[in-house]
Amino acid sequence: MTIVSGKTEVRQRLQPGWSGMLRKIWDHRADYAYVVPAIAVMLIVIAYPIYYTIELSFFNTPPGLQLRDKIFVGFDNYTAILTSEVFWKVTWNTLVWTFVSTFFSFVLGFAAALALHRDFIGRGVLRAILIIPWVISAVAASYIWKWIYHSDFGIIGAILVEFGLADRPPNFIDSVGTVLPSLIVVNIWREFPFAMIMMMAGLQTVPDQLLRAAKVDGANAWQRFWHVTFPHLRNVSTVTILLLAVANFNSFIIPWIMTGGGPSNASHIWITHIYELAFGRQRWGVASAYSVLLFLILMTLGYFYVRALSGNERKDDSA
Amino acid sequence: MVRITLGGAVLRGTVSTALMASLISAPALGAPPVDLSKWSPEYVRSIAGTQDFDTAADCAKVTPLDYKGRLTFWYQGVFEGDPDLLRQYYKDFFATFRKTYPNIQLEDQALTYNDLLDKFRTALLGNAAPMAVRLQILGGTEFASKGYLQPLKPEDVGYSTEDFWPGAMKAVSWDGVTYGIPTNNETMAFIWNADIFKRAGLDPDKAPATWDDVVKYSKQIHDKLGIAGYGLVARKNAGNTPYRFMPQLWAYGGGVFDEATANPTYKKIELDSPQSKAALQASYDMYVRDKSVPVSALTNQQADNQPLFLAGQLGMMISHPSDYNVMLDLQKKATGSDKDKAQTVIDNMRYGLIPTGPDGKRAVVFGGSNIHILKPEYVEGGKVDEPAAKAIICMWTSPEWSLKMAYAGSNPGNLNGFKTKWMKERLDNIKFLDVTTSMLPYGIPFPALPQSPEIMNIIVPDMLQNALTGAMTVDQAADDAAKKVKDLMGGGL
Repeated sequence: MTIVSGKTEVRQRLQPGWSGMLRKIWDHRADYAYVVPAIAVMLIVIAYPIYYTIELSFFNTPPGLQLRDKIFVGFDNYTAILTSEVFWKVTWNTLVWTFVSTFFSFVLGFAAALALHRDFIGRGVLRAILIIPWVISAVAASYIWKWIYHSDFGIIGAILVEFGLADRPPNFIDSVGTVLPSLIVVNIWREFPFAMIMMMAGLQTVPDQLLRAAKVDGANAWQRFWHVTFPHLRNVSTVTILLLAVANFNSFIIPWIMTGGGPSNASHIWITHIYELAFGRQRWGVASAYSVLLFLILMTLGYFYVRALSGNERKDDSA
Repeated sequence: MVRITLGGAVLRGTVSTALMASLISAPALGAPPVDLSKWSPEYVRSIAGTQDFDTAADCAKVTPLDYKGRLTFWYQGVFEGDPDLLRQYYKDFFATFRKTYPNIQLEDQALTYNDLLDKFRTALLGNAAPMAVRLQILGGTEFASKGYLQPLKPEDVGYSTEDFWPGAMKAVSWDGVTYGIPTNNETMAFIWNADIFKRAGLDPDKAPATWDDVVKYSKQIHDKLGIAGYGLVARKNAGNTPYRFMPQLWAYGGGVFDEATANPTYKKIELDSPQSKAALQASYDMYVRDKSVPVSALTNQQADNQPLFLAGQLGMMISHPSDYNVMLDLQKKATGSDKDKAQTVIDNMRYGLIPTGPDGKRAVVFGGSNIHILKPEYVEGGKVDEPAAKAIICMWTSPEWSLKMAYAGSNPGNLNGFKTKWMKERLDNIKFLDVTTSMLPYGIPFPALPQSPEIMNIIVPDMLQNALTGAMTVDQAADDAAKKVKDLMGGGL
């Protein structure tokens, strides 16, 4: 919280416009000095790459030419993307991946948080166990799941065959119909602990006296949850969902390691497709155009995220 | 035990004379160190151990042994599918180099086949490449055509162009200039489990003669024993896929372009030809119609086939002679009854020539790796220590080390390697080596085009996946791939 002296406030009111702003900056010069290194780093590692990506998105970069010999094509990359069949297929995959993963990660995480919010023997151990998927390396998890799902020798298939529930192991990741749902299951398994932790933190903020008062007033468990607990969790839920959505839009490791976007592009989502376009096919221009579009989508999500956070702050301030 | 008459098989091989001539004809002055026109397992045995080489003395003429410098070097190194024997040779090479050139500060980095191209491209974009690099054969043309590489020919490191396979030299040339030196050249062979053949009612000592036989045998093995017949590999962005599918494509008379002819022009796209479609149909028949290959073929690499084969769950596959050593390594790690089962598989492991197409054409990918020097402007720090780079290149491409570094899996890039005592030792130690050396004259290099990595690593596997998943019919998948190649060659987005 910034403390502004009454004298300064008066001076600011008297000196509107540029000079007032400069004075304000001067008064806070120490604060600015502290953030300059961070801003400089951000300009180098974030602002310049963003600018360069936008610039590249207007160029064709054939595999036989160096990047410096790129050819200006205006909006052709964007036109090519928006008119290509692959774009719509990959976009559909991305939307399914993001929304289904986010929804189920949140619901499962919330349910787990509610269960673990009660006091019972072994709660701590269970909480630690449920966090494991989130803390282990995504790369290691992907390889483990690849073998669990293996279409010939996966453990799930072996169990099903052993118990006579299937004649042959089910085809999880080598079929265009099942690959995306199979990967989404892995993603949910990895992400729900994050939602669980967030919601557990949120549950700590629900005032106990309100719940007790509701109980005294005759509210049943569902009514107490719906009318007392849930309204208190609205902001943390919004933030959790937004963070999950952003993370899922940006997912790379699980689909890339487990299937490389295949078979037949059935598990390609935007990020894996952009990676393949750039590093596998050297279409830096098209990949950049894709990245710009993704950037715009994520910025929109980011806007809502900041708004949700600001809503929290305003609410806290008014309280 | 190999039951085929290898020398005779080579001579009987129905590969086109033109192709053979392309691979074995000496393009320049002077006689090659070995007579390629006499190439046969017997000939290779007759020349092995006939000449001694002093690598340090030879390389001292290129870069003095007391030279002081610094070298950054990336190379395609060993990976999970390689035998331990090869790992040891890699360690020995770098230890020997450091001992031979104690004043060269070497910063070496090994990368796997599937990672190297992506990382190298990224480093080049940031002008942060190493001074020297050893790349898979597929990559040389791409980087030479873009102007990243310095001209480099065998004569620059004390050897002669005739010391290397003519076919391999084509893969390091662009616009008539040579940009690298082959370190090793490989051709794979057909491997089968004789016990599985016997139990499936097939002749245990006879490899399938044609690709149509592979389809038939695969189905028979699957139907009778309930295991996978042929180890199909169709993963995208994995080098294993083109190395296994292209021999099939060429054998049926197809191709991406005319790369299987003596003097390819790469002008006409052949992926949608009836012959190419027939090759794709054979894969479709095995995967979709007969379900006789691993279902996981679309996400698997050859390294995934190896344990299947060792577990007696796979009847046939295409691979290096090193797979025999890999099986031995894997067997050592097995426990209990698995160890005995694995031993039974190893005892029943057979190698043969890769099958022919319907018209008797036999083909295999002429693979390998090349070593290159980068231009200073793309190197971290903007400087290339050429004497240091030439020192390591001289050593790696020497008869001694080009053989040792290919000991279990491949063949020396330097033909003089076949004359060394280590070759003689290798012929005694590495089982089935005769078969893969017999495949060398059938080798076809990938198209020497900058677009080849995308064609081989993405478009061809995509075509396979589109057909095998039912996303497209065989005809549609082949037509779609041909269109993608056309767009790519036309510089499309």
